[in-house]
Amino acid sequence: MTRTEKPAESPAGQEEDVLNRLVAEHQRQVYSLALRLTGNAAAADDITQETFISAWRHLKGFRGESSLKTWLLRIAANKVRSYWRWKKLRSWVGLGTRDEDGEGAALEDLLPDDPAGRPEQAALAADLERRVQKAINLLPTRQREVAVLRAQGLALAEIGAALGMAEGTVKAHWFEARRKLEVSLGEYL
Amino acid sequence: MKDEEKEERLVSLLAARRSEAFWAAQRARITAGALQKSGPARAWLLAPAAAAAALLIVLLAKPRLPVPAPETVVSTAFLEHLDLLDDMDVLEAVSEEEL
Repeated sequence: MTRTEKPAESPAGQEEDVLNRLVAEHQRQVYSLALRLTGNAAAADDITQETFISAWRHLKGFRGESSLKTWLLRIAANKVRSYWRWKKLRSWVGLGTRDEDGEGAALEDLLPDDPAGRPEQAALAADLERRVQKAINLLPTRQREVAVLRAQGLALAEIGAALGMAEGTVKAHWFEARRKLEVSLGEYL
Repeated sequence: MKDEEKEERLVSLLAARRSEAFWAAQRARITAGALQKSGPARAWLLAPAAAAAALLIVLLAKPRLPVPAPETVVSTAFLEHLDLLDDMDVLEAVSEEEL
């Protein structure tokens, strides 16, 4: 979908098709953002669903002045912030946090589509997943947000708009985050 | 390795890797959820009746209503505004020019 394009108005019968295309095009980026910012696969799945459902309900209000991808990622980033607020609140009122629930991805979700060499590939994928998430978790919050949005292909100016930061600040955060990630994940680069 | 290539490799590492089956199942769940008659839409149909019932209850209960404890008031207000938080996630993501 191009920068300013938004799904065409469609008859009720074609709604599902339009929504399917919208989700297929952006679900990987929305899920990646949610996963990297929460470090929790179950929460990332919930946030991805909530993001698309909220966006779908408010789509008529979207004028297409910014990229649809940027809009979706901003909604997802806001939902991640709500998730952390909710977790803090739960912790504050003594309901505890269930950090371990859904923290890692289910092994079957990591299995490659190609059946050949599945167990080895799944183990390698799980190991890489843990190392990448650990490296991201070590970053301060702002650097983490910038790095994750950058990883979804957003320009520095778009990240600034999404997070309410000056472009120069985004650049500085990205520079620092990148330096740290390159140290942590050097063997994969 | 060139700087751009290194950045590209780093960025690709940060992406979530999942099987096609995972993406397809997630897509199906999202589509089903989004195309369901939404809660707010159903709530809107019931809103006039709910408002009248609430008003009646308030009017009938007012003389005998004990003053609620402050923490109850805060909890109730918080619960009543939970739905608004969901909309806030979207509204915060819309720039002023878009609104």
